[in-house]
Amino acid sequence: MAISLEGILFVFIGVFVGTFIGLMPGLGPISAIAIMIPMTYNMDPTIALVMMAGVYYGAIFGGSTSSILLNAPGVAGTVATSFDGYPMAQQGKAGKALAIAAIAAFIGGTVSVVFLMLFAPVLSSVAIQFGPPEYFALMLLGLTAIASLSSGSTIKALMSALLGIMVVTIGIDAQTGTVRFTFGSANLLEGIDFLVIALGIFALAEVCALIINRQKTTFNAKTIGSLKITKEDFKEMVGPMSRQSVLGFIIGVLPGAGATIASFIGYTTEKRFAKNPDEFGKGSIKGLTAPETANNAATSGAFVPLLSLGIPGSGTTAVMLGALLVLNVQPGPLLMTENPTLFWGVIMSMYIGNIFLLILNLPLIPYISKILAIPRPMLISLVVVFCIIGVYSISFSIFDLYVLLAFGVIGYLMRMFQFPAAPFILAFILGGMLEQSFRQAMTISGNDVSIFISNPLSATLLALAAVSFLFPLWQSYRKKKKNNQSLSM
Amino acid sequence: MALTVHRGVSIVLIIIAIFYLYLAFQLPSFMNTVIDADTIPKITGFLLIILSVLYFFMPVKETEVEKEKRTEAKNDWRYILGMFIMTFLYITLLEVSGFLVTSIVFIFVCTRMLGYKKWKTNSIVSVLVPLFLYLSFTFLLNVRLPTGFMPF
Repeated sequence: MAISLEGILFVFIGVFVGTFIGLMPGLGPISAIAIMIPMTYNMDPTIALVMMAGVYYGAIFGGSTSSILLNAPGVAGTVATSFDGYPMAQQGKAGKALAIAAIAAFIGGTVSVVFLMLFAPVLSSVAIQFGPPEYFALMLLGLTAIASLSSGSTIKALMSALLGIMVVTIGIDAQTGTVRFTFGSANLLEGIDFLVIALGIFALAEVCALIINRQKTTFNAKTIGSLKITKEDFKEMVGPMSRQSVLGFIIGVLPGAGATIASFIGYTTEKRFAKNPDEFGKGSIKGLTAPETANNAATSGAFVPLLSLGIPGSGTTAVMLGALLVLNVQPGPLLMTENPTLFWGVIMSMYIGNIFLLILNLPLIPYISKILAIPRPMLISLVVVFCIIGVYSISFSIFDLYVLLAFGVIGYLMRMFQFPAAPFILAFILGGMLEQSFRQAMTISGNDVSIFISNPLSATLLALAAVSFLFPLWQSYRKKKKNNQSLSM
Repeated sequence: MALTVHRGVSIVLIIIAIFYLYLAFQLPSFMNTVIDADTIPKITGFLLIILSVLYFFMPVKETEVEKEKRTEAKNDWRYILGMFIMTFLYITLLEVSGFLVTSIVFIFVCTRMLGYKKWKTNSIVSVLVPLFLYLSFTFLLNVRLPTGFMPF
């Protein structure tokens, strides 16, 4: 199915469009997936799925490309790529850097999809016995983990997550039918669609932030140079690729960690292993290979909890979950047993997406990168139109468009005050499930909170959640105490 | 105690949380459910208040990078505000004058406002892109976009 001519065409479209969007500074995989969701409405789910996988991988690769060419990482996950990628491009070896990035990404992605294939079923078979208390504990762990691991301030990330939960409580409560926080508006009865939030808080807000740098460099595509890499180059890549695809995968599976952390850890470990660490930061092949491999391995790793537990571990997988739900695919332990075709379709599409990225997208990159030459003012106007058309085509409601604009403003303000938006979208997606499983568990136990502690598995998960919540707070407290002491001495 | 930026932010968040809690306490309750519809909102609201108060008293010092991020829009706030206002008008007029006309005008005016001067390229793009989108959504994706007063 996925290998039909139609399937191949749509993977290609997906990879191409994904790269296109990912290339734009400021727009990452979350925006790319959100912008593409409306296209999938009348599509066959399997075809739509392979296309979305293509978009996903394409967007990541696009992000790396702008890191290398412009030193302007679109998303946090590709920041480490610019450390050695940009110096290489400055030395006139942009083509080589892009080829190395693509191969590293391909290996990291493919190896970890193999791991995903092995581990997801195992985890599913355990998760199938999970009841509401375990699910509640698991989701709480996911939320606290992303808050503590996301870059910057933990408390800001937690507050951002709480705001996300507030927004998801708008609408009719599924369990009691109580109408909550709608201010009497019939438009809000069904709650706010996740796409409106994703497009508003990510795409619209980020594109408006582009206004600030709108006069910046236009890019000259002629400077890319040859894409060829030599045998010696490849030999240098083998070490980092083999280590980082494993390490990246493991980090990706952990809730909250994800691609950014994997790429930084990948970079620093390789620097430690390297014979000549001084080369790092000056265009080292190893320094470029490591974060690219780890980044992509982690991205596939993040699919393990998504597919086997139905719980996203990061902002990007949260949006991916939204995309799957639109296609009527409910990830979780039952997916594999009830709908094996779709489950393996997802896995298959990840392989195909990766391969297409390498054999079709890479040779086209000199042409695709011309998008960097599009004047920013025009780019900004066009992305706004895409956001509007995206929301309108799902709800046909002008009201939703105003909500989109409101979230654009909110997202812009959050960005201005450095409140991370990923915990918000993750909490928005998890919030509904979190509330439901909490209430189910309490109903089972007859309003006895001890159900969460008496059960060893949920108790362990809750303990982990508490640690991941309190540890960073304690750490920063200790750091401050130390600073104060040294100041008073 | 000076009113720093982060304290201002935390006060805003506390106000949001209080308003949310006020609404949550207005929710009707049902006797026969174990956990009612107002429980999670109440917990969420109180948690946000606690965290915001904590944040208020935290000795947060704004780093240079953070300050730059917050104030980088200083010279451009007019453009950003203009952008949001134009998007507002775009949305308001979408069903009145139709997707095609509104989008063409929006792209052209917005691109010009943000400082792109080549009006020829601008006109071509602002006509072709909406046309392409309109045709592909209508005929390929079977999504009806608003036509407004136009016949198509």
